[in-house]
Amino acid sequence: MKFRYASAPYVVWSVIFVVVPLFLVVGFAFTDSSGQFTLDNISKVTTYTAVFMRSIWLSVIATVICLLVGYPLAFIMSRCLPSGQRTLTMLIMLPMWINFLLRTYAWMTILEHNGILNTILTTLGFQPLNMINTQGAVVLGMIYNYLPFMILPLYSIMTKISGSVIEAAQDLGANPFLVFARVILPLSMPGVTTGITMVFVPSVSTFIISRMLGGGSNMMIGDLIDAQFLGNAYNPNLGAAISLVLMVIILLFMSILNQFEDSEEKEGMMI
Amino acid sequence: MSENAIISLRNISVDFDDERVLKSINLDIMDKEFITFLGPSGCGKTTTLRIIGGFVDPCEGDVFFEGKRINGLPPHKRHVNTVFQRYALFPHLNVYENIEFGLKISKLPERERRQRVMEALELVNLKGYERRGIHQLSGGQQQRVAIARAIVNQPKVLLLDEPLGALDLKLRKDMQVELKRIQQSLEITFIYVTHDQEEALTMSDRVVVMKDGNILQIGTPQDIYNEPTNAFVADFIGESNIIDGIMHKDFQVEFANDFFECVDKGFTPMERVQVVIRPEDLKIVSPEGAKITGVVESVIFKGVHYEIMVETLGYRWMIHNTQYVEPGTLIGMSVTPEDIHIMHRMEEEP
Repeated sequence: MKFRYASAPYVVWSVIFVVVPLFLVVGFAFTDSSGQFTLDNISKVTTYTAVFMRSIWLSVIATVICLLVGYPLAFIMSRCLPSGQRTLTMLIMLPMWINFLLRTYAWMTILEHNGILNTILTTLGFQPLNMINTQGAVVLGMIYNYLPFMILPLYSIMTKISGSVIEAAQDLGANPFLVFARVILPLSMPGVTTGITMVFVPSVSTFIISRMLGGGSNMMIGDLIDAQFLGNAYNPNLGAAISLVLMVIILLFMSILNQFEDSEEKEGMMI
Repeated sequence: MSENAIISLRNISVDFDDERVLKSINLDIMDKEFITFLGPSGCGKTTTLRIIGGFVDPCEGDVFFEGKRINGLPPHKRHVNTVFQRYALFPHLNVYENIEFGLKISKLPERERRQRVMEALELVNLKGYERRGIHQLSGGQQQRVAIARAIVNQPKVLLLDEPLGALDLKLRKDMQVELKRIQQSLEITFIYVTHDQEEALTMSDRVVVMKDGNILQIGTPQDIYNEPTNAFVADFIGESNIIDGIMHKDFQVEFANDFFECVDKGFTPMERVQVVIRPEDLKIVSPEGAKITGVVESVIFKGVHYEIMVETLGYRWMIHNTQYVEPGTLIGMSVTPEDIHIMHRMEEEP
């Protein structure tokens, strides 16, 4: 490949901030504290299978709910007048102006045993609910924080679906369900895969949400890595190994998703 | 309601944002005819088409299809298909799948689907393009796919919304002939919307001239061209010289400071009228003794003829003539009584 000088800054940037750190992670993962080559770290990761499974499971739930909530919302937005579209986009972006930690912290005060929600419930004469430090709270935190990342790519792809294509489908005999299944859904597939990626990837690697809303009992991969580098467990080699496994999981997930998108396209090419 | 009308519109009115875009339209569309809605943009022709397609609900009035009232019936339950202005092909499907779309929805068996799609492809001369993606096609080819996708469902009525608007002149001419051929071989009703008068005259059995939400005239292309009901129709259908005149009595009209014999009658004596004379009906004669004289201002070569603009006192005439005339020459003009068309004055638009 020909080297283009204009791309030099980008190459330098990615070497310093992507390639070198990646090699460092790989290097750490396959060595012990004295720098000797070892596979111990990688094999030790298997002892955390439960944490991995929980992270993936909770992220899948959060992603599915985000998709179910975000898809109709994005569609409605895309059919609004331009002024309405701007307002709605603004409203969706608005919470993101507030610091991520602060937003999650706010949920703590809402969900706590003596929090806002329980206070309302008890004054109305209901039993207080146990909400904080549950998996449900973690999933809620993920949905709240990452829903915009589902809506925005869906919305931007749906605005490109012209009204006349929908009318054409109706004209050819498609009832509302078929218009959705045969036209809107296939045309919005690229947005669906992007949205899923943008919600699942940060969800599976989060550690703030699980720590603040999940308590100690709902540890996730992110918490595990955090503990190896900054916590009491201090073992950067193991931490690097866990990170590596997480990276492989995410890459696998994305390639599966890409496969899905490709097959959609191929289907379109075939008779 | 007429006997063999397939679609009847009765007192149809439509408002968009408090503006009345259709004003009590009445129209019978016959089975198997090629009818064209012709008018400038904003005249309501596309809205009328969308009412028939089911995309717009009239505020007042009734739509009948084969004698049954179909107001409020959604588009997917109507036996009409549409060729949309910008084709509106499905970008995620190839040519074959686009055409197959309607058949798949009506749950036709695979073998019959294939046969009908192939027939439709043959009819629009696109055999061999089945596997092409939509974006690999030229505008003319996309147009053909849009037509095939609509006619493959064997609708009783095909609606065409300015289908040739996006094509270049040569292709448009070819497609006009093609569409007429398709309509004749399918023996179905075509309802065609256009602002191009030449297109309307070339293809239609009947033309509906519309303006500002009203129907001005319905008739065969010959009727509309030769006997326009008012000056607007005359001006819109082909080019015209439109001059104010006074009808003194039957068969006598005054305009351009002289009296002319004409073939129209039935006007009130001394009624102020509009006189329409087609540019090709004006003969160039020597200025001595001519009733109308003027100085040639410009001459433009138009292929078959020269378009000659002649300045007279108070009016600028257009003549179509095969002979070249030097600009600046003083010429006379004559016109036979049959070629003088007298129109009632149009009510002034606000």
